[in-house]
Amino acid sequence: MIKHHPSAETLLSHAAGTLAAGHALVVAAHIEGCAHCQAELARLEATGGALLDEISPAAMEPEAFAELLARLDEPAPPPPPAPRQAELALPPGLRLPKVLKTAEIGRWRWIGPGVRHAKVRLPWAREQTLMLLRVAGGRRVIHHSHGGAEFTQVLWGGFHDHTGQYGPGDIGEADETTLHQPVADEEGCICLASLEGGLRLPWLSRLFGG
Amino acid sequence: MNAIDTPLFLAPSQTRVPPVTALDAAAPDAAALAALIGRVAAARDRTAFAALYKHFAPRVKAYLVRAGMVGGEAEDVTQNVMLTLWRKAEYFDPARAGAATWVFAIARNARIDHARRKREVAMPDMEEPEAPDTAPSAEALTLAAERDTRLRGALNTLTPEQRQIVQLSFFSDTPHAAIASALNLPLGTVKSRIRLAMGKLRAVLEEGL
Repeated sequence: MIKHHPSAETLLSHAAGTLAAGHALVVAAHIEGCAHCQAELARLEATGGALLDEISPAAMEPEAFAELLARLDEPAPPPPPAPRQAELALPPGLRLPKVLKTAEIGRWRWIGPGVRHAKVRLPWAREQTLMLLRVAGGRRVIHHSHGGAEFTQVLWGGFHDHTGQYGPGDIGEADETTLHQPVADEEGCICLASLEGGLRLPWLSRLFGG
Repeated sequence: MNAIDTPLFLAPSQTRVPPVTALDAAAPDAAALAALIGRVAAARDRTAFAALYKHFAPRVKAYLVRAGMVGGEAEDVTQNVMLTLWRKAEYFDPARAGAATWVFAIARNARIDHARRKREVAMPDMEEPEAPDTAPSAEALTLAAERDTRLRGALNTLTPEQRQIVQLSFFSDTPHAAIASALNLPLGTVKSRIRLAMGKLRAVLEEGL
């Protein structure tokens, strides 16, 4: 049962296409498994459609349609090559979200006691800081604040912090005003996280930042 | 009708078609647009595509211009959006979304992709649902049309200011700053105004269910 959804503003930015690429991927991972947010997104996109329909049109160049007709039989460009993905050891039953198929995924690396991460890179937006995080049972992810927004989608296990309990399918949203200290549940926790501005801890942002 | 009353050859001045504007164009309704996409999917129907182009290309271009692209860029990206419509028509499923909604999603993705183009790697296409096996039923088309009509009705219940907020949220590259400057609001109150406008839209939509 999903308890934590993206905020209304976040879904709106996602529908409008103005959410940063890294956050958009995490939000898409949430939507993939959340019927409630799928319906919400459909409603927002329909609003976009209605606005598009009533926009005051801008005339195309006179030859534009003829030029396009000449291109209709061109073959579609080939799909991009499959990104490099490390074979990650994952708990049985955990399937990575489909949206990750387009991302490069690195190996698990130790970044602190009980905490490992695997870098996730978007070939079309390499500057974004994204990662899979695996935290052992009962471990804290370190007390940290953010240089910007952070999205965390729980894929397996769970964690809790001062805002509540997060289980599989839940998404956490934190911003620069949040100081949080998530603690993994007993079985541990694997999540997909996007950070904006990196963590405000010099040694960690060096590891995460990339 | 007597053929003599309808001359085949008109003087050039009489043949000039006045520019079509939003006001005088009888826009095809949502069900008609969905049916046109269905014809492209089923038979690569170029006549249907021409009608879709006439309706959507100038709207997509206007959307991209409002999102901050200059004329030439907006024109090129619009062509790509229309080409995607042609190629992916079979993925359109009116049971899931109306025609304008589907085209909006393609245009939005093209806009995100364009912003990224200098990085050489294109963003992957939007997640494609399974292409529907069969042509959409008349019932599905009617449902889609009703949903679109309801949405347009909901937009009409907003105050002009709320409507502008919703428009800028969808069209502007930097919605918060754009709303603050268009409505002369402090940045701090923009979020709550967006929330109010979107909340009202939602309430009206839910009433209609």
